[in-house]
Amino acid sequence: MTMAVREAGTAAATRPRHIVCEGNEAAALAVAMVRPDMLSVYPITPQSSLVEHLAKLCADGRMDAEIVDAEGEHSVLSVLQGAALAGGRTFTATCGPGLAFMFEPYWRTPGLRLPIVMALVTRDGITPQSVWGGHQDAMTVREAGWIQIYCETVQEVLDTTIMAFRIAEHRDVMLPVNVCLDGNYLSYGAARVTLPDQAGVDAFMGERNINWHAALDPLRPMAVDPLTGGSGGKGPAAFLRYRKGQCRSMQNALRVITEVHDEYAARFGRAFAPLVERYRMDDAEMALVTLGSMTGAAKDAVDEARAAGRRVGIVKIKTFSPFPVEALAQALAGVGAIGVVDRSVGFRWNCGPVFQELLGVLYRLGRPVPTASFIGGLAGADLTVEHFHAVIARTAALLGGDVPDGPIWVNEND
Amino acid sequence: MGHAYATIAFEAARCDGCQDCMRACATAKCGSDDISRARLQVLPAVLPAGQPLDGGAPASFELAMCRQCGDPRCVAVCPAGALAKDVETGVITRNADTCVDCLLCTVGCAYAGIAPDPADGRVAKCDMCDGAPACVAACPTGALRHVTTARIYNEVGDWEDLFAPGLAGCQGCNSELVMRHALRRVGPDTVLATPPGCVPGMGSVGYNGLTGTKVPVFHPLLTNTAAMLAGVKRQYKRVGRDITAMAIAGDGGASDVGFQSLSGAAERGEEILFLVIDNEGYMNTGMQRSSCTPYGAWTSTTPVGRETKGKSQDAKNLPLLMVGHRCAYVATASTAFMQDFYDKLDKAIAASKHGFAYLHVYSPCTTGWRFPTERNIAVARTAVETNFVMLWEFTPQDGLHLTHPIESPRPVADYLKAMGRFRHLTDDQIGHIQAKVEENRAVIAQIAAGAAAR
Repeated sequence: MTMAVREAGTAAATRPRHIVCEGNEAAALAVAMVRPDMLSVYPITPQSSLVEHLAKLCADGRMDAEIVDAEGEHSVLSVLQGAALAGGRTFTATCGPGLAFMFEPYWRTPGLRLPIVMALVTRDGITPQSVWGGHQDAMTVREAGWIQIYCETVQEVLDTTIMAFRIAEHRDVMLPVNVCLDGNYLSYGAARVTLPDQAGVDAFMGERNINWHAALDPLRPMAVDPLTGGSGGKGPAAFLRYRKGQCRSMQNALRVITEVHDEYAARFGRAFAPLVERYRMDDAEMALVTLGSMTGAAKDAVDEARAAGRRVGIVKIKTFSPFPVEALAQALAGVGAIGVVDRSVGFRWNCGPVFQELLGVLYRLGRPVPTASFIGGLAGADLTVEHFHAVIARTAALLGGDVPDGPIWVNEND
Repeated sequence: MGHAYATIAFEAARCDGCQDCMRACATAKCGSDDISRARLQVLPAVLPAGQPLDGGAPASFELAMCRQCGDPRCVAVCPAGALAKDVETGVITRNADTCVDCLLCTVGCAYAGIAPDPADGRVAKCDMCDGAPACVAACPTGALRHVTTARIYNEVGDWEDLFAPGLAGCQGCNSELVMRHALRRVGPDTVLATPPGCVPGMGSVGYNGLTGTKVPVFHPLLTNTAAMLAGVKRQYKRVGRDITAMAIAGDGGASDVGFQSLSGAAERGEEILFLVIDNEGYMNTGMQRSSCTPYGAWTSTTPVGRETKGKSQDAKNLPLLMVGHRCAYVATASTAFMQDFYDKLDKAIAASKHGFAYLHVYSPCTTGWRFPTERNIAVARTAVETNFVMLWEFTPQDGLHLTHPIESPRPVADYLKAMGRFRHLTDDQIGHIQAKVEENRAVIAQIAAGAAAR
């Protein structure tokens, strides 16, 4: 992508359009705006309306893309791997059991360094059988090597989906991206959104060059992904080199995500915190750590608590993978208590996964901070302002040294 | 490489003795209607005593004609060097200027393929009419067929071998033969997928930065070959580039864990050439059972013990399942019948330009099936001759038909006894396999009959 192309569209040329739509439709509209080559889809609740919108956009001629109705999520992602290796810009969406079924190619995609974008319409894990939202699916695969970015609002779903392609395809990154939107709350939640104009998005995206590094192309034949590794010879060192580069690119992504968000804000006038959002954290003595759509209710609760004189703020994680350790350490530098609200469970540590990750950040702070793990919103359960008042009250108790020895189950008495 | 090793094949059962071929030959070669001057003679098959060969059944005939032998005795016995096998055409030619009319060649030939022309007493023989034999054209029953002994040998040598030398297959493995021939034919504008198994195990994708293939090649997962190729092909089609998306997969990946993606791609009509090399198990990783492993066979996961003796289920008929998908083209092939394979490969390549083409090639595994390395082609041929393997092809338009029907199949025991993996079979197990061969033959015959009746 050349700067010349990017500069062609200016902020003045943007003609915003306002519509009311659900998060799944917002994601589909964003995908249409980045002009993908290939979509591969398989429906699964609560993602289904997203792929239905994609299909309709193609059927109506509003999006010129190949759409492959694959026979399952495993093939969905495999089709996109092939298309990306042939130079295509690709997108799909899934959740929960679909993600589990997709895991084999999912696990491989970052190693192939393919900039595939996939909406993860997060859904709780089965079993108990459930079709409702929760972060258990995304959390389960957090070591697979994908970038995972969580959205708070329908507008953020739309804008982040566009940005995700720029992040994935950046030469210093070349990794797949999950745009995570909460099943039910964002997938079906309708809201007023502002659409960027197509010319502006075209300029923002620039020229595409998806497979400059590894290609399946008879014009430049190469063997993609020969065997490597082993106990001796050149193999293990080659494997290490690939892996190290992948880890380095994951760290590069922290910078690139920030740059892309800045550029998007400058062009379209909508700014989102790229890694971590600090909400009313000035002079806060305690912080709630949140992820995804729950943050809306948390903000309302914090506003009310602030009005009542409590010095509480929110640190919302937007980019979960790579984990923004430094940004979190800075955001939490001054607080005396932290309440982490998870929408999934961590089976191994008896706490929420975000809580577990955050323990590493506390080490960076250089001082012990009383911290509690709250688990709520499982399988579609609502996390209300009232729930967050309870969370704030319990977190305040940490300031007095009352630290629980296990997770607090937020919806337990609903 | 030399060219055109052609001959004229005679199927006695189709010959009614009309002599049209002889008239055509005499006319073409001598401008005469005297059939005694024809370079082929169709004669009643009789015993010396004058009795019909088959004891009074409908008359049968024999052909006296030059076979254009690969190792011609006529040439060997000619003292004047007047006879020679043309290295380009394969036709045995006679130089009238140097011929000394000794007639030794007529004694040397076992087929009465060279004989004196009654008009001048000098020997004359078939010259194949420059590749368009008049006799074949004149035959009304199809008893005479012009066959190139192997078109593959005429043409293959001119195409680049797109695998590097030194692929590390087992000694005596013919899968490498299939791979090299197939990729040569498909050509360089190809993206090749070789899922885990013997094919990449030989080094086709390669190790540590070295590759064994000259076209773009990749390891799909064992499970997603057809899906990945579909993505590759559709993207190139979208940008207006014609490439062949080709898989060379093993039976395990295709019939077991990769079957869903194979089935899905076939149902969607993805434009893919999917070639399965069926060695009836996971041979690359130590000979474990697949769903293509036949009943009774020893594998490392269907061992022979006190309680069970080899695999206890019959093989999945994967190519027939692909017929069920109404693919643009489906065929079975064998390493022992390379011309048949080549004919089908051409059709499969053509079909892959507009739909899903599936080729299932039976390739005996000398290592895993436990037979001497030099017996590989013989084992493959016996499989066909016993109907254990049936060679057929299918298109939605023409249905299924056999390409190499076996009129009088040998007992399957002839095949089974050729291999160590069946050494332990009881008579009951052999009976079970023979019954399954009959059942399978009947199923295929029924489908073929349905196609013929259309």
